[in-house]
Amino acid sequence: MDIRIFKKKDGGFVQLIDKEDMAEWPIELPLLFIEYIRTKQLGSYGNAKKEVEKYLDEIMTDVAIPRLVSVLEGDDNETIIMALTRIEEISRKDIEMAKPIRKYLNNLLKKNNKQIVKLAQAISKNFTNAERKKELAQKRKSMREKEKLFLEGKISGEEYAKARKEYLTLKE
Amino acid sequence: MAKKQNNNVYDLRAAKNLYLEYLEKGKEIRNIDFPPDTVKIDDLNRKEMHDRLYKLIDKVLEKIYSTGRPSIELPSRSSSNIIWDEENDLLLLGKQIMEKQFHTLTSVADITRLMRVLEVVNELLNEDIHATKREIFYTDVNLFQEQKNSDKSIEDVATMLYTTRNSTHIVAAPKGTCVGRLRIRDRSDIIDLEGLGSGGWTISPMLDNIEIIESDAEFILVIEKDAAMMRLAEARFWRKYPCILLTAQGVGNVAVRMFLKRLSKELNLPIFSLVDSDPYGHYIHSVYLRGSKRLSYESPFLATPNIKLLGVLTRDLDKYNIPQEVRIKMNKQDEKRTKDLLNEDFVKKNKAWEADLKLALKMKIKAEIQAFASHGFKFLTDKYLPEKLTTGDWI
Repeated sequence: MDIRIFKKKDGGFVQLIDKEDMAEWPIELPLLFIEYIRTKQLGSYGNAKKEVEKYLDEIMTDVAIPRLVSVLEGDDNETIIMALTRIEEISRKDIEMAKPIRKYLNNLLKKNNKQIVKLAQAISKNFTNAERKKELAQKRKSMREKEKLFLEGKISGEEYAKARKEYLTLKE
Repeated sequence: MAKKQNNNVYDLRAAKNLYLEYLEKGKEIRNIDFPPDTVKIDDLNRKEMHDRLYKLIDKVLEKIYSTGRPSIELPSRSSSNIIWDEENDLLLLGKQIMEKQFHTLTSVADITRLMRVLEVVNELLNEDIHATKREIFYTDVNLFQEQKNSDKSIEDVATMLYTTRNSTHIVAAPKGTCVGRLRIRDRSDIIDLEGLGSGGWTISPMLDNIEIIESDAEFILVIEKDAAMMRLAEARFWRKYPCILLTAQGVGNVAVRMFLKRLSKELNLPIFSLVDSDPYGHYIHSVYLRGSKRLSYESPFLATPNIKLLGVLTRDLDKYNIPQEVRIKMNKQDEKRTKDLLNEDFVKKNKAWEADLKLALKMKIKAEIQAFASHGFKFLTDKYLPEKLTTGDWI
């Protein structure tokens, strides 16, 4: 297949592999590719960024997700384990990239294979941890605001203590 | 004079225009039509290789059953069967066929070695692994006796299977390095060639595992020497001027040339070479350009006929005021090599190249890339290369 070419405003070009060439890739690699381009390269693409983002979405819907689904819904436990092992690694690094498989976790947890269940549990735990982390970050932000308001005398000591308690409980 | 933008950055207009020209032409320059009197070689995957190998063995068995006097036919690799295809500027293998008999005293050792290599190739394909030429020699030292014998058998096997040597899973030892605006896939890993430090990525001879996945480079620079590569890598040349740098530390081996060919074919980028201003440097450029005589059967997969000789040209020495004390006097062998190059058809066809070699012969001087250091260590990266890429001063 031909490589995809995106024109930049400065006269340069960005060339990306054709999505059809990813058909033979290891199951988790299209996801890694999307993550890689989004986090490491996209910022340098200038005005070609939008077009490339659109292309990455295409890869996600046309290649990455269908390939993952076909494996996770299949009966080949060995392949499922291989895919879940890499997805677990991905979920630890960037939980957003693992999102497409979340809805399949319940079925995987019911499988009659210890390793699959263990990996599915680990991925579920990574989702829970990521959500907690996100919630904690939000709470931390609001806690800082509350502290500022308390020091300015705009909220009472009880109100501040209540917010602090909630924050510490979540942190633990 | 080259047009400069602010803060001493050249606009590389000529190189960019060449890139646009290539993009416009697209596939037209990527696909080659071979002359009818030359042998067609295929780059095969594992399954295709297996099929071809079994067909060959079946043919030999059939001959044994039907005549009792088996033989193997393969294209001759002698110099009389090497053809320069003027249109594509490639050295190709003609259709002269030679026959190796199993039952004669002269060919029995040769045939046994061939069969041993075929056996090893089958094993490598079955296991989906690769071996170096040196390892092949060590599979049966008594039989091969010297590595040149096993190397010859390896090349014979590739030729009689009408395929590239890499398709046989017998590879060269890693030699070259690559660095710059390129991302590749090596099986399950994504490798960023900008993020590997100044040492860069060692070009893997197992190119069937490698895939080009992203690049925002605008040209490729092939550098003869490690020292010059180090200078460019340390300057992070590719950050200022989006490019891919590649060196093979001398003449490119199969892996380096095949990788360059892949970059050229898939990314369609202009390619320039930076070699010493001496007959050996020009020879290195010629091997990238149209292939080597020894591996002429693989030229379509190894040669990059659109590579331009950026430097160091003989005419550059005066143009850039290279001091006399860093110019080297040609010896007799240099003169002979220059004359040999001038006799090559592909040089005769390229008038600018011919003129530069004639000038070298007239002045009887040569110079290394490092000669530019006489103007300061940054002269090469900050002035010489960007200026030439901006003005289009190449051959």
